[in-house]
Amino acid sequence: MRSIFGKGLTVAPLLLAVALAGCAAEPGKPTQAAKAKPSDFSEWPCMSYTLACGKIPTRKPVTQALVGPLNGDPVRGQALANERSKGNCVACHLLKGAEQPGSKGPDLTAYGTWGRSDAEIYALVYDMRSRNPDTVMPPAGANQILTDQELRDVIAFLQSSK
Amino acid sequence: MAGTHHFSLTRLALATLCAVAVNTQAADAVYREAFPRVAIDPSRGVAGGGDADFGATLQYWQDDQALEKSKPWIGNPEHEWKLNWKFMDLDHTDDMHPGYLALEQGEKLFKFWAKREPAFRTCLGEGKTDFKGLAAGYPKYDPKLKKIMTVESRVEHCAKTALWEDFKQGSPANNQISLYFKSLSTNMPIKVDTSSTEIMDSYRRGEKLFYTKVGQYNFSCASCHTTTGLLGQRFRGQVPTSPFADAAHFPTYRVGLGDIESLQQRFMRCNLQARTKGLPPGDPAYTDLEVFYTVLSNDYPVSVPSAR
Repeated sequence: MRSIFGKGLTVAPLLLAVALAGCAAEPGKPTQAAKAKPSDFSEWPCMSYTLACGKIPTRKPVTQALVGPLNGDPVRGQALANERSKGNCVACHLLKGAEQPGSKGPDLTAYGTWGRSDAEIYALVYDMRSRNPDTVMPPAGANQILTDQELRDVIAFLQSSK
Repeated sequence: MAGTHHFSLTRLALATLCAVAVNTQAADAVYREAFPRVAIDPSRGVAGGGDADFGATLQYWQDDQALEKSKPWIGNPEHEWKLNWKFMDLDHTDDMHPGYLALEQGEKLFKFWAKREPAFRTCLGEGKTDFKGLAAGYPKYDPKLKKIMTVESRVEHCAKTALWEDFKQGSPANNQISLYFKSLSTNMPIKVDTSSTEIMDSYRRGEKLFYTKVGQYNFSCASCHTTTGLLGQRFRGQVPTSPFADAAHFPTYRVGLGDIESLQQRFMRCNLQARTKGLPPGDPAYTDLEVFYTVLSNDYPVSVPSAR
């Protein structure tokens, strides 16, 4: 068995991981401490058999209508889509200008050419379960991951992706 | 008169029954969604890791031979996830890594306390003084305590009853002693007793938790750890891997933390990353999840000390 791990090979992944761990803080991004109120997420459904969060119902799928004109800012939207603590859309999707994009969701780099209406995209990002109950996509609107204005900004960014 | 009395008692009993039934229904009626279930046969143990729903990766890491063949994939972002990080099970080597320091610390701690209070040893071994192979049978149902015990809850229990000390689950003392206890079963196949009713009841509860969506992201464990979800897909800088054989290498040295971590501490961290309330190690829900996870490691050897 020794043969599989040369001395160098054993140490290299550890050293690499130590180096990468240092990057986890994401220089330039706001830290947890800088935010208003850190949450322990107990206001959302949890696995506990006894705590109150174990009895909090999951929010049911909704088809949310877009009210009025979109009025979104694509530049802000792009930042929100990349931001880990916000949209984090990049975790699963390939988006324009994405760093470390994911591969689960569809490639959205040209989403603006797909001919979808603002209202349709708004409803899907608000809660994808309205179209696919088995989706892994978090309901960004229904579960308050993004505010109404933030959703509008993200959709403006998606529509501008051509 | 007597008849009327009897009648009213029956009515009362019926009414009580109905009230209980309604209450149970109300408790069960909390709306929850489940990620699509995969049929897992618990009797197959780690062999289920070869199924397509879990990435069919078993062939690449099931034993030393398979790992040796897959070695060229280490560091390759397209393929590395298929090794299920098993190349980090450094118990096979003489090379030092910090997991060994924790193990040494655990051995020292255990020997210090076992010398001072021999009852600590007999409690941990449930009467046996040689611990070889014992950890491979955990989690197990303890008929005396009427509880499912993990290695960590046994250490906590024995510290309390034999030493009057608080080695809470997730504490450095508990993790180190648990690591030492598990290391005495290294390379021995995990054998959780799936013929035990209590274990299988716990397994089913754990399985249900695995698929139940929770938290602000509305994620279940399965959202990331099945191929219907994110398993094998790039997810930011990472690629989620198979849940099979995961229980074998805990407690493990976490490079990013600079410390060892138990399986249930890993559950807690996972929950928080998915914006879900983390539960304390030893929580009954996490114990059920650990039973589920460890049954998915059945027949795979205990692999500590490891690093991740």
